[in-house]
Amino acid sequence: MEDGIPNLKWELILKSIVIVNYGMGNINSITSAVRFLGYEPILSDKEEQILKAERIILPGVGSFYKAMQNIRQKKLDTIIKKAVLEKGIPLLGICLGMQLLFQLGTEDEETEGLGFIEGIVEKFNQSDKNVKIPHIGFSRTEIIKDSKIFKKLGSQVDFYYNHSFRALTQEKFVIALAHNGEKFTAAVENGNIFGTQFHPELSQSNGLRVIKNFLELKNAI
Amino acid sequence: MPYKRLIFILLYDSGKFVLSRNFRLQKVGDINWLIKNYNFQSISYSIDELIVLDVTRGERNIEYFTETLKKVVEFVFVPVAAGGGVDSIEKAKKLLHSGADKIVVNTTLYTDDLIIKELVKNFGSQCIVASIDYRRKNNRYEVLINRGQRLIDMELKEAVKKVMELGIGEILLNSIDRDGTGYGYDLESLKLLDFDIRIPLIVSGGAGKPEHFIEGLRIKTVDAVATANLLNFIGNGLPLARREIIKSGIDLANWDENEFERLKKLTMEV
Repeated sequence: MEDGIPNLKWELILKSIVIVNYGMGNINSITSAVRFLGYEPILSDKEEQILKAERIILPGVGSFYKAMQNIRQKKLDTIIKKAVLEKGIPLLGICLGMQLLFQLGTEDEETEGLGFIEGIVEKFNQSDKNVKIPHIGFSRTEIIKDSKIFKKLGSQVDFYYNHSFRALTQEKFVIALAHNGEKFTAAVENGNIFGTQFHPELSQSNGLRVIKNFLELKNAI
Repeated sequence: MPYKRLIFILLYDSGKFVLSRNFRLQKVGDINWLIKNYNFQSISYSIDELIVLDVTRGERNIEYFTETLKKVVEFVFVPVAAGGGVDSIEKAKKLLHSGADKIVVNTTLYTDDLIIKELVKNFGSQCIVASIDYRRKNNRYEVLINRGQRLIDMELKEAVKKVMELGIGEILLNSIDRDGTGYGYDLESLKLLDFDIRIPLIVSGGAGKPEHFIEGLRIKTVDAVATANLLNFIGNGLPLARREIIKSGIDLANWDENEFERLKKLTMEV
């Protein structure tokens, strides 16, 4: 190329990263995190863009019920399922976005989730009075499986959490655990589907590394 | 259990960031000034959270405020709470769409319970922070609203209880007496809160040196310490304070500051 930027680099920049827009919570931080890492994400709720994506990020803050309502209204549930299950596009769900990957949510009322991973999402037990809910702040997170998204991070990493609900699921899907009065699911993996209860985009360089790992997964599709 | 937190507060008044002393404001500079002269990026690498408050004394303009907010969050990879005059779902949404992860409410806590409940229902309790401004007078702790300008008929203890009943996720206590003084936090007032506070508690107002953070964080019920003192903690101030806190035996979250530059570079492994 005339300006001396190698072709390969352009390929990286042009990698199609879609942040699913369903009107829940702050997408600025995840957008700037992806940009900081050198990529230009697309914020979209359009079928053709989501199906053409090389990576899909499902963000989200707020209630499970409201989120699924928005997702269904925009028919995003069908589109995401097609993208992830039929086309095998890697997906990263963050916080509420991770919770939506499960079968059932219990916030406000029982709500069916996207169902990519077996399990349900329930509120923390507040039996111990020293435990504060919501669980807010950085917490030490134990990486219990050798997942590609935790490459170049140690076995104990600090990530930022902000939630009152946690996912109850089978051990085989859990790749990281954290503690708030009880051990809870901090991150999950099921094939091309990843989810973090913590916010990698709000976890300083530790979280940026997770996002970079996800964006640069080898032989993903 | 999460680590305790060190929080920086940026105070904003009509396009400029300000210094505050006992809630009297002095303008210092705009966002570009902050980035250029105060190496804001390196400050953000030393904190666990950022709060940006529109404390404009005249009429607020949320459009201008959100423009600044968007610029602040562009290079900040910690959670950002924003507030100032939030009295509707619409305003909260504007902030959340401009980079805020959480919403700070203050005056509306006492003027409109319904809106507060709506905010909690719409965005979840973890998304709402209740800011309570108080001062000590004749052995009472008075609560003030409207940027510290109007006294209400409720004492600090009652205000904290009310906030918990409203289902809010976090409490930010600001001592007007200590604000900007550098004399240390008003930790006396916490003794008054002799009931279980089962949501995170942030103390603010008065920090002037690292020891003040340490004193605050040593208190069991305190989850986070905050400072809005641009002058005392700018430049190397916060990175040094963070190191001092950890050295004193208080466990704070850990990350590698040097990683940021490495992460910026695109790698060729695809």
